[in-house]
Amino acid sequence: MKKTMAVLTGIAGLFLMGCSNHTEDTNAAQNIKDKSWEEILQEADGETVRLYMWGGDEGINQYIDEYVKPELQAEHNVTLDRIPLDTNEIIQKLETEKRAGQDDGTIDLIWMNGENFKRAKENDLLFGPFTDQIPSYQAFYDTESLDFQYDFGTETDGLEAPWGKVQFVFHYDASKIQEPPATLDELMKFAEENPGRFTYPAAGDFTGDAFIRHVLYGKASSIEQLLDSPFSEEVAETESEEVWAYLNDMTPHLWRSGATYPSSLTELDRLYSQGEVWMTMGYNEARAEDLVEKGIFPETTESFVLQQPGSIGNTHFLSIPDNSRAKEGAMAAIDFLLSPEAQLAKLEPAYWGENTPIDLALLDDEDKAAFEELDRGETVIDQQTLTDAFLPEIDAEYVPWLQEKWIDEVASQ
Amino acid sequence: MKRSLFYSLAILFFLFPAILLGLKSVTPIWRWGEPLSFNWTLRGWTSFWMDDRILHALWLSLLIALTVTLINLAVGMMAGKALSHSSFKGKSMLETLLLLPLFVPAMAAAIGLHITMIRLGLANHWTGVVIVHLVPTIPYTIKIMKAGYDRLGSDLIDQSRMLKAGPFRTFREIELPLLLPSVRSAVFLVVTISMSQYVLTAIIGGGSVITLPIIYYPFLQSVDDTVMAAFSIVFAILPVFAVLIIELISRFFITKNSFFNRGAV
Repeated sequence: MKKTMAVLTGIAGLFLMGCSNHTEDTNAAQNIKDKSWEEILQEADGETVRLYMWGGDEGINQYIDEYVKPELQAEHNVTLDRIPLDTNEIIQKLETEKRAGQDDGTIDLIWMNGENFKRAKENDLLFGPFTDQIPSYQAFYDTESLDFQYDFGTETDGLEAPWGKVQFVFHYDASKIQEPPATLDELMKFAEENPGRFTYPAAGDFTGDAFIRHVLYGKASSIEQLLDSPFSEEVAETESEEVWAYLNDMTPHLWRSGATYPSSLTELDRLYSQGEVWMTMGYNEARAEDLVEKGIFPETTESFVLQQPGSIGNTHFLSIPDNSRAKEGAMAAIDFLLSPEAQLAKLEPAYWGENTPIDLALLDDEDKAAFEELDRGETVIDQQTLTDAFLPEIDAEYVPWLQEKWIDEVASQ
Repeated sequence: MKRSLFYSLAILFFLFPAILLGLKSVTPIWRWGEPLSFNWTLRGWTSFWMDDRILHALWLSLLIALTVTLINLAVGMMAGKALSHSSFKGKSMLETLLLLPLFVPAMAAAIGLHITMIRLGLANHWTGVVIVHLVPTIPYTIKIMKAGYDRLGSDLIDQSRMLKAGPFRTFREIELPLLLPSVRSAVFLVVTISMSQYVLTAIIGGGSVITLPIIYYPFLQSVDDTVMAAFSIVFAILPVFAVLIIELISRFFITKNSFFNRGAV
């Protein structure tokens, strides 16, 4: 019932948009909508697509520059330019361009999810819906999956195509910890027994926020209630009471007795790499592989997930801005980036090592075997354990609310 | 005694960190308490060169910084002289007004300017970036130049004019040589500020203008100290390089037979 309502609202929204004054945009969207995939590829031929994305990881940069660029050129004759920029600034730029009425933008593809998507969608910055026209998305992905229909509780409405999938894991030094904790209570016990050897990034950091969400999932009376209903302050208030109690109990046993917290994941990673703390954490279950390889993390690094409450995972997406000048090229690029071959190369630890949102059941045997046989490295826990522990994200509005509350309830105590 | 103190402090606070940074860029991570062992690695530098736009980015950063510096000096000297040597109504108010850009957060200024730049067609182009880099630099240059003119006083200038030297000759033979220390500090400050602008460059340049910080800043969020050290070294060398260029230009400007080089003072 709820879903039909949402679809109806979506259609009504589209209808209203069609009636509004800026006919040019909608015409362009309509044009592409009516085109067949062959026609789109014809248009894309020779276009230059500028992919704007965060650029602080050589593995990811290398994947784009050394693998995707030449392959995409060969396959569709589309030139890909990778522009390193923080996602926040990308959205900011689009917002200003919209206000200034600039309809020939420089951005053709954006990599994002969560709050950034919400902001972009609410401000009508995105082109689409386009995902129903992407052949590889239709062929190899479970398009009905809630993971693709919702992005941190915001409906994607076909405005973004899933590019990758990550899950939250903890990393620990096996030379110092024999048995990693499996529940929040065991984690508390670990902190008590090893004072100063555990801490988490302060709220406000992407990873710190996610850690607090795990505690919320674990301490809430029902995870389903959190996941199913939109954000409400009352529910959040009652459900989070035990979260603050738990974190406050933990504080005296943390690194520097909780007097200060690492302000970012980078700082926590540095403490871990120096052996000051024995655990670090983060989204992307394969993250440690590359860091161990480079000698930044100790060789004895291994990973674990909490069985209770589980491990939060999310999907990240690719979108096309409304004022892109190369929408067809961008669609061709998305089709390639979502294809099994590109996803397989992305999974390889040499480049990025990140998990694929592809549905293995929809692949042919050869491709499926390639995915299943690929060795993701020793620090990555097996897929079954990850799948069993998987938890989806809650409404994006919880994120800023928990941040503020954490400062009041924990940091300033 | 005083001298040895100076040298030991200089070594401790300036030379030692610089050497350490150099070492860090060619060695893997060392853990506190581990025995000192040197395994050399070029990983930091190969990551640095990996982005094939890096040379272009270096060149563009330099070009932007030097253009910003030249505009700064031109505006700063005129404004500084006016503020120092003439008196008019509302002078102190004007002085305060000129400092105001420093108190506006860069992000707020950038967003407001972005709309204007789009309308003027300067967004996504390096000239637009030059203009926006003037916002956080000009106030400093004006302050420095005003102090320079305060120190210079008007006597020498008046004397030169009395001896029938035109304003340009006075500038070249009296003002510029005597203001050189102020010019140097302004140049160094402006170049460093311009080269470290991430937000302003990112928004106005919109990703079409790729300077060093655009490539380098995202790496600040990584824990890979080896790569960071390599980037930081280049980042530190660039301003020195830019100052050398300005120094050469000013040599060219101050003619050989200038009043001061004849040793008449």
